[in-house]
Amino acid sequence: MQQRRKLDQKQINQELLSGNLKTPKWYIPTMLFLGFFVVTGFATILYMFNKGLGVTGLSRPVYWGLFITTFVFWVGISHAGIMISAILRLTQAEWRRPVTRAAELLTVFSLLTALFFPLMHAGRPWRIVYWLMPYDFARGIWPNVRSPLFWDPIAIGTYLTGSTLFLYIALIPDLAVLRDRTTGWQKVFYTILALGWRGNPRQWLLQAVAGILLSALMLPIFVSVHSIVSWDFAITPSVEGWHSTIFAPYFVIGAVHSGVSAVVTMMALMRWLWKWNNHIRPEHFDALARLLIVVATAWLGCTFLELIFSVYGREAPEIALRELMIFTWPWNLLFIIFLLTGYIIPVGFWIFKKARNNIVIMFWTSILVNVGMWLERFLIIVPGLARKQPFTFTWEAYTPSLVEWYILVWSFAWVSFLMLLFARFFPLIPLFETKESQVFTSETKIGRATVPVIYREED
Amino acid sequence: MSKKSILGLFDTPDQGADALDGLHNAGFESHECDVLTGTPYPEGTFGEHVPQHRLFRFPLFGAIIGLTLSIFITTATQIAYPLVTGGKPILSIFAMLIIMYEMTMLSAVVTTVVGIIFESRLPKFNLGAYDTRITEGLIGVVVNCEEKDLSKAKKVFTDSGALDTKEA
Amino acid sequence: MAQETNSAKYSKATLDLINTTMIAPKKMKLIIMILSILSILGIIGIVLKILNGFEDKSAWGYYAATISFLLTTAAAAPMVAIAPTIAKADWVRPITRIASLFSVVGIVTALASIPLIFALPPLIVDETRRRSIWFEATNYSPHVWFALSIFGLTLCGLGLLYSSSIPDLAAMRDHGTGWRKKMGKSLSRGFIGTDSQWKSLQMRIGMMGTFYFLMLMFVNFLFSIDFALSLVAGWKDAIFPMYHAMTSLQSGIAICILAMFFARKYWGMENYIKVPQFWALSKLQLATTVLWFYFFYSAFIVFWYGRSASDQMVINLLIIGPYLPVFLGAFFLEFFVPWWILVWNRVRKSIPSLAVVACLVLIGVLLDRIRIFVISWSTYSNEVIHKKFVPEQDFPQFMYPSVADIIVFIGLVSLSTLIFILSTRILPLVSVWETHQSLLLTKVVKYVRTDVIAIGKPD
Repeated sequence: MQQRRKLDQKQINQELLSGNLKTPKWYIPTMLFLGFFVVTGFATILYMFNKGLGVTGLSRPVYWGLFITTFVFWVGISHAGIMISAILRLTQAEWRRPVTRAAELLTVFSLLTALFFPLMHAGRPWRIVYWLMPYDFARGIWPNVRSPLFWDPIAIGTYLTGSTLFLYIALIPDLAVLRDRTTGWQKVFYTILALGWRGNPRQWLLQAVAGILLSALMLPIFVSVHSIVSWDFAITPSVEGWHSTIFAPYFVIGAVHSGVSAVVTMMALMRWLWKWNNHIRPEHFDALARLLIVVATAWLGCTFLELIFSVYGREAPEIALRELMIFTWPWNLLFIIFLLTGYIIPVGFWIFKKARNNIVIMFWTSILVNVGMWLERFLIIVPGLARKQPFTFTWEAYTPSLVEWYILVWSFAWVSFLMLLFARFFPLIPLFETKESQVFTSETKIGRATVPVIYREED
Repeated sequence: MSKKSILGLFDTPDQGADALDGLHNAGFESHECDVLTGTPYPEGTFGEHVPQHRLFRFPLFGAIIGLTLSIFITTATQIAYPLVTGGKPILSIFAMLIIMYEMTMLSAVVTTVVGIIFESRLPKFNLGAYDTRITEGLIGVVVNCEEKDLSKAKKVFTDSGALDTKEA
Repeated sequence: MAQETNSAKYSKATLDLINTTMIAPKKMKLIIMILSILSILGIIGIVLKILNGFEDKSAWGYYAATISFLLTTAAAAPMVAIAPTIAKADWVRPITRIASLFSVVGIVTALASIPLIFALPPLIVDETRRRSIWFEATNYSPHVWFALSIFGLTLCGLGLLYSSSIPDLAAMRDHGTGWRKKMGKSLSRGFIGTDSQWKSLQMRIGMMGTFYFLMLMFVNFLFSIDFALSLVAGWKDAIFPMYHAMTSLQSGIAICILAMFFARKYWGMENYIKVPQFWALSKLQLATTVLWFYFFYSAFIVFWYGRSASDQMVINLLIIGPYLPVFLGAFFLEFFVPWWILVWNRVRKSIPSLAVVACLVLIGVLLDRIRIFVISWSTYSNEVIHKKFVPEQDFPQFMYPSVADIIVFIGLVSLSTLIFILSTRILPLVSVWETHQSLLLTKVVKYVRTDVIAIGKPD
């Protein structure tokens, strides 16, 4: 709190709209660089559609590989937004303010990207659309509501719609600021989007109530989405290591862990790229890291429970699976990297206040977390499938092909590309929240000490 | 009898509150006056009339629609195409529950958003008396009144220390 | 002038609160008498049970449920003080003492669990190891570790209570009379409020709180697995320890709300414990209520989809078996009814209705404990435990509690209440030093034309 500076609204506008009102120098080269991967990535996807899934490493019995891993990964990242904006808004954490919009944005774009993967994975995406939405009613074939593969698109669709609307509602006051600062076609664009916002008490009151109400509505959706993704695996009795009751909360907590870490990565980048040193301050990283210690430890607890209970039944196939996963090359290497990067190294740093306040350390540790979390999904999905089971006549190790790896790289470039594109037209840090925070915080003197004060309205 | 609006711009919230008090003393009704700010202030900062809203009805309404619709869709589609999979009943309530839940929530969120926009009295593209400096931190006080009363309002504004006034 | 009124406020609060330990509410003596008699009856009941021996495991089912109920309510109550304190919430100050006073009840729980530890079957039954989390450990590991952990938890809770009441003991040393003055003098250990004393106090509370939380999770983990799950052959449920811990937080919050209600009614704490405290706890209560359903459903859907005999057994035995009415009672009282009541904003601000909800939740938790533990202890037998799952013909009939069971339950609850009431004769129900902190940091200030609450947030 001591790092806070008093800023007037004009200065806040100037600083936070710097990337919207003119193009930063680094912007076009970066977009070109990312654009290259986006275009070639899409070309690779089209190539795969043309040649068929044979160009991937997927083969009997491992049919779920890198694509599904990455799908779960991006759905996981999408849990950042609502975690930060909804939970922190409901608990009235003052430090959430500069982070909310970017986190919600990450939710929207990572969900959008996640949706690509099951479609690609199906090989013939036009067919999967028919399964979900049998547009030609004459045949009388309807989707099977008992299949979790049908729950997935419903849940993700709900979450995507909800978080996009949430993002938009909180954007309206800022769109009005942009409307007042632009000319020409841009003014028309922002005028339409701002819906004629003037900032009277009624509109501000609704904005505040909306924040709380939508948070409360989005929170249960947020929990359900990754639970449903986890049930894709957990309700299958036939694959060892998947049929566990802890999967739903385990996936949700893991998603929060990876999502909040991704927000940390993004905040560091925002601070460096747009030089928002007045707004994204070490205290924010400190608060997020403390939150992450709790989340990471809860997640580790779930991992522990999952492992304990996998061998609890003392069934030979389960024990053999865990032996493969933990002790057999090359899975053991992946397992060690997963534990080190997912928990031990990052949390080892975060318990020290100095590391929490050091943005470079926070940046790199948050990336490590996501390496670990990606591996976690890979280790859940692939070894279970790769093992010999009754009635499988062939089994072999799965090696992802170059095409799959390239599509993985594409997904990162694609999300970053979309984020930067958004950042060119809309402010990444909510202006009105920043201004509100200036109104609702102050300082008081107690003896010789200066204590930060937060104003709260009486109920 | 045409309604006109006039805007006074003030530097500090105190001046804005003074202006609003002045307007009330000069005989303007609460519903004729409005305060425009670039940031939310605590409720009642300017001594303004605290607005009432019915936002909480919207999600309830949406949830009911969503639930009804989802019960219909999940049962009707399963009965229309009764294919037994995994030895589960055709109407598997525990699986249907998940779809019902998601559709209920989706519908509640959508109606809430509609409710927010509606209750904020948006969209309304004619801004009336407005100044772009409001989003830079100035406090705007607007009066919507008969044309003859404009001068009275303007006097109140200048007396309260308005930086500028605008008519529309 | 302002300075004077301030110090007057402070000393009034000090005397007010210290007085509550001396001035007894009406009929206090009568209540204490009744509770003592009931407690003695309960102890006699326990002795009778022990004399009947440990051979018949089904006779100990209701006893296990009682211990679990005490463990989940009283031991989780201090968490209500710990978690918000660590999150630096300002509303929690008036209720930290009530919440942490519940750790004295831990003494009852720990002592009463000793017979149950003797009743617990060994790991090696008929020269074969039964399924448990103690894979290759020595025979009596669960007994030893549970005993250590429950006493560790109790000590830790008492330590937390003592640490957080040192400044109050000092206040009693300075302003109390009689034996309270003497006790304050010897227990406050020369606390005079120097800067370093305050700092080390805050640090100690933080550390003890974290440690208490970890111990609580550990105890829940051990108790739920060793005393329930591992007694039923084929019940493999990874989320179960988390479910047990979560319901324990749910009932911990409920018992705190109830205690706060009585503190207002009979100890005259209306000026200290106000609506904001109830309002904040009601939100947590709502969250745990919804989480109850989430945890339950996460496990249920996995069993329901599972096609293995043991999966089906879990549902048949634990849910739709002879205990279906008990399950439904728990379902409605722990989830459905409180959920429907608590979603309404107006209810969450009404203190009597929150007390009613708290009672419902407590009854629900008790029913849930009866279902889980009575089933587990009556299903267990040396023959069945080594099977892959409990066969249908070995399902137990519905078992009503014996007279001894009821006496023991009433006795132990009375003893816990008695100890709690007696401890309020020693320490003030609202912490004096935290009240001072609130007076110092929370003020109503004028903001232009309205009033706002200004909350100081020191680092």
